[in-house]
Amino acid sequence: MLIKRIALLLVVSVGASATGLVLLLAGAFVLRAWWTTPFEVLGFGAAPEQPIAFPHTIHAGVDVWTYPDGSPKLDADGSEMSGLGLDCTFCHRNVDKGATAGVPPVEQCLFCHASVQGDELGEVAKLVEAWDTKEPVAWERVHRVPDHVRFVHEAHIRYFLAQGETPSGEPALVAADVCSTCHGDVAAMAEVNQVRSLKMGDCVDCHRDYNAPTDCTTCHY
Amino acid sequence: MVQNRIDHKWGMVIDIDRCTGCNACVVACQAENNIPLNTEDRFRQRRAIQWIHIERYWEGEFPDVKARFIPILCQHCENAPCEPVCPVYATYHNNQGLNVQVYNRCVGTRYCANNCPYQVRFFNFWEPVWPESLRNQLNPDVSIRSRGIMEKCSFNVQRLRRAERIVEGQQGGRISDEDLSMGNFLPACVQSCSTSALVFGDFNDPNSKVSRMKEEHLHEGGRGYKLLDFLGTEPNVIYLSKVDPYATDAGDGHA
Amino acid sequence: MGITRRQFLRWTGVSALGAVVFNGCRIPEEELQIESPVNLPEDLVTGIDNWYATSCRQEPGCGVIIRVVEGRAKKVEGNPDFPVNRGKHSARSEAGLQTLYHPDRLQTPMFRADRNDDFLPISWDRAREILNAGMNSLSDRSRFLLVTEPLRGHLALLTSEFVQALGGRHMAFQSLEQINLHRAVKEVFGQDRLPDFDIENANYLFSFGADFLSTWLSPVRYAGGYGEFRQGDRKRGTHYQMDSRFSMTAANADKWVPVKPGGEGVLAMSMAYVIIRDGMGNADAAAALTDGQGPQALNAFAPDSAMVRDATGLDSGKIEDLAHSFADEGHQPSLAIGGGTAGAHRSGLFNLKAIYALNLLVDNIGKKGGVRFNPAPPLPELSREDVASVGMPASYREWQELAGSGSVDVLMVRGANPVYGLPPGADFARVVNEANFVIAFSSFMDETAGMANLVLPEYTYLEEWGDNVPSPGPSYQTLGIQQPVVRPFHEGTSSFGDELLTLGRELDLRLESRLEVTPDATMKDLIKAGVEKLWPENRGSVTAASFEGFWNGVLQRGGWWDTQATGDSGVAEIKPLDTAWDGSGLGDPGSGMFSLVPFLSNSIGDGQLAHLPWLQASPDPITTVVWHTWVEINSKVAEDMGIAEGDILEVSSGAGTLEAPAFPHPGVPPTTVSIPIGQGHTGMGRYAEGIGDYNYNTLSLLESTTDKDTGALAWAATKVRVKKADHGHSIDIPKFAGNQFAEEPHKGTIIKVTGPS
Repeated sequence: MLIKRIALLLVVSVGASATGLVLLLAGAFVLRAWWTTPFEVLGFGAAPEQPIAFPHTIHAGVDVWTYPDGSPKLDADGSEMSGLGLDCTFCHRNVDKGATAGVPPVEQCLFCHASVQGDELGEVAKLVEAWDTKEPVAWERVHRVPDHVRFVHEAHIRYFLAQGETPSGEPALVAADVCSTCHGDVAAMAEVNQVRSLKMGDCVDCHRDYNAPTDCTTCHY
Repeated sequence: MVQNRIDHKWGMVIDIDRCTGCNACVVACQAENNIPLNTEDRFRQRRAIQWIHIERYWEGEFPDVKARFIPILCQHCENAPCEPVCPVYATYHNNQGLNVQVYNRCVGTRYCANNCPYQVRFFNFWEPVWPESLRNQLNPDVSIRSRGIMEKCSFNVQRLRRAERIVEGQQGGRISDEDLSMGNFLPACVQSCSTSALVFGDFNDPNSKVSRMKEEHLHEGGRGYKLLDFLGTEPNVIYLSKVDPYATDAGDGHA
Repeated sequence: MGITRRQFLRWTGVSALGAVVFNGCRIPEEELQIESPVNLPEDLVTGIDNWYATSCRQEPGCGVIIRVVEGRAKKVEGNPDFPVNRGKHSARSEAGLQTLYHPDRLQTPMFRADRNDDFLPISWDRAREILNAGMNSLSDRSRFLLVTEPLRGHLALLTSEFVQALGGRHMAFQSLEQINLHRAVKEVFGQDRLPDFDIENANYLFSFGADFLSTWLSPVRYAGGYGEFRQGDRKRGTHYQMDSRFSMTAANADKWVPVKPGGEGVLAMSMAYVIIRDGMGNADAAAALTDGQGPQALNAFAPDSAMVRDATGLDSGKIEDLAHSFADEGHQPSLAIGGGTAGAHRSGLFNLKAIYALNLLVDNIGKKGGVRFNPAPPLPELSREDVASVGMPASYREWQELAGSGSVDVLMVRGANPVYGLPPGADFARVVNEANFVIAFSSFMDETAGMANLVLPEYTYLEEWGDNVPSPGPSYQTLGIQQPVVRPFHEGTSSFGDELLTLGRELDLRLESRLEVTPDATMKDLIKAGVEKLWPENRGSVTAASFEGFWNGVLQRGGWWDTQATGDSGVAEIKPLDTAWDGSGLGDPGSGMFSLVPFLSNSIGDGQLAHLPWLQASPDPITTVVWHTWVEINSKVAEDMGIAEGDILEVSSGAGTLEAPAFPHPGVPPTTVSIPIGQGHTGMGRYAEGIGDYNYNTLSLLESTTDKDTGALAWAATKVRVKKADHGHSIDIPKFAGNQFAEEPHKGTIIKVTGPS
């Protein structure tokens, strides 16, 4: 009897603690997702898959280009190729003029890719196809604030340019110097992912640090 | 360089001697602020939404009958009865004279609407729906309020924010009346008003038209008055009384 | 892996619990994607809004600017530069966006050989083939009829050339046509064009039946002036409204004088008599108006005569007062305008002539605060007589004659809806039914398009080229330009002007040589060629060194105008007053009978805009009724008849019967009832068709009474019998008043009134 009872107790307690653990984990997951970005599990928090695998590393970065397996890409003469180091505003033209940064139209990509044919991965071919079929490219959105939030890129860039310094202490001389404050080092990302929580607390903390308005109608209307 | 923030006190002066009751402001407001379509049913249920509306009051009997029009919108009271009753601080008074409704805080108790003596707060009893093609018209600068949210006149804060950003941020200098009208920053109702009965501006700017009108009219014996002044709500909207050379019973107009 | 955020959201949406939890922060699918457009927009950057200037077709003559964000039109506002409306606009202009994005817009051409069959969608190429075949089926081209709204500018020029080259006919349709007004202006002032009224600077404004703040001619312009007239930097103006209905304009007047329907002309004549008798006003004009005979020429109109009292319902003292107020030297400049119901009687032309002649007596022509004549349009070809006639609506009598004539084999209709808009006496449906082939250019399946063989979906005015010579203009030469502000929203739509040019080519009409444009010209080329002729004149609001610079300047400003190019400064020859008053059909309607005073809705007009939900939901200024027809009846009379608000009334005339809810209010003259026009559609999409329980077409009540001289419809001359409907139903009228429960607060004063000072 006693053994039976102990066994039952064991089963129940193991079961209960297992359930408790699952609940705890689930709770931690929800809380973490609520406060900042979700844990990178089950595809949550991962960089979304884009219709065209556009590598910011090649366009915006200055490092050596690598294939997904890590091997360096070589030029026709066998030398390693490095990134173009394009300024963010080269493509995201509206970022220092208005609310949204803007995604470049396909035509703008073709300015270069009409002659730059890309490589065997065939991603440029998708772009050319989009141009030929006049089908817009449906990019997956990475950074998105809820629709009751009005975020204006222009005002933030203008402010830090006037300050001459980004929050991380880097000099802010051109618009592109400011972007990494919220977006991280996009130039180093083969697939762009969100690095900051961009929750309201995140925004408000920064607004307080810089004595920016924290009135609700600054962002909500 | 930390920019000195400029203190504004936005407000409106409404000359009801100019108002003809044409309803242009009502439709302009609906176009600008993504107000749900007011279908016949919503009127029947007394749940239509019009942030600004024209009230009509009758006076006298045929043939000496008179109809008077008055545009009513949120009075943006300094001492607003709607604010203290909100359990979640979704409505408050900001430092620019605006009575603010924060949609993402609102939980839909409707206490504010019940406590508003001007009856200018509107509740979304339904999820707003538009036929797909009509959604193309929606203003991207204004949140769409979902079901269960209170909404009301915002003095088109989206346009004011833009004005601050462009006029004060980029160009430097205080927003003037001219900036407001030339930059399309005036509230949509003010812009549309063909008789210029609605005047919008900054009461903190002594050169603004609203300040000068307040100075000229809001005093004992002047035409200026505040709606239901005796309640002590201290509105930021000033009305200028109707002038009627043939008034039989000057002073009052009842429903 | 493979669970994306998107799928997660989709899953939560499936369970009912999830749906509730996520309701407040639901992310619409499309917000997770950003589409990068294919083409680099030349002049627009994504995320930035642009304002484009163009002309408005829903508030004729107005210039508007449209806010366009990423290729979508978002907001209409008045063009601050445009001389007619000076930065202001109306609810009707605003709703242009709903025309553009209306869910029931026609998106593709449709055809049926037999008009009892259903429509089948077809391609434009096929539609053009059918159109050509239909036109070629005409054995006698004079049996072709084109019906449009009154056109102006280059579309009028093109239409006129098309019809002439083809040898067909054109008729312009306007439901409550302004023919009497045009004729009165011609006969009294000798002017071919409607004049501008300087309300802004007038001191005493006398309006006879013209609802000029709401629907009459150019309400946005008049309202702009009215604001200054009331509280501008000047002495406050005084406005008298002599009107058989308590309209929105009458409600704004300092004094509303409820004159009997049709008696407005007699009142004006009687005022003229008093002015001349008392030696007030301009003596030369008085002599000319009476043919040198003095007041006795107008003896019949002495205010104390029984005829005047019967016709106007006013006693002599009141008329004397009005006349003295009008002509008093201290009250100048005073201004008399008339229209609306005053011109809508058997003696409509007589009424309007008498009213406008009052301006001659106070000598306000060409003066500040008076009547200012409009010059000819800036381009000589636009003022040609044949082009002007395309802008002149056909009279009701002409429509009546058409209905019985059987003279139309091929009918083309554009921008007009005569099946809905003509009273039963001019049975346009019969014309349609008797025609072999009917073509309708329309953006919506309205009543007329619904009877056609071939329906060709049109661009809206925000998508196509056009131009506009405002009528009435602002007293100087003005040309409004209409440019496409957004790309065509539906691929299967096209421009009427372009299709007319294409059809002309197919039929070998050589329109291009008549119009002096290249053989492949479009509407845009036609307008550009016209504007090019203005450039070398080097005058007006835009001047430029090159034509391209000039063209861009004109487009940016929404048009071209020259404040120096004004109209005639005076009347060449004053003709004696017409004293041939015919009072037949007037007088008291009799027991149980009422005079029917229909009126245009402040929002949906004559019904052409009934398909726009913003306008349907825009409360009527007087009654605040929305989405519905109603019958205005005096509250005391209603009480006597046992009628309460919402009781369904049966209103019957010699032409028909309708049922609509009663709306008793104190502003209705006891012997009249008023019903708004515009509801009762059987087409035009979900917001117009079949809405409400008792929505009827008010025009179906109108009897075929016409003006004895001009043949214009006397739309305010119908007498009706009113009674509670036998079924005894009553409805809750949808209206804004009472929308907000406000018992407590209204103890205080809402509207303060400053009395006589």
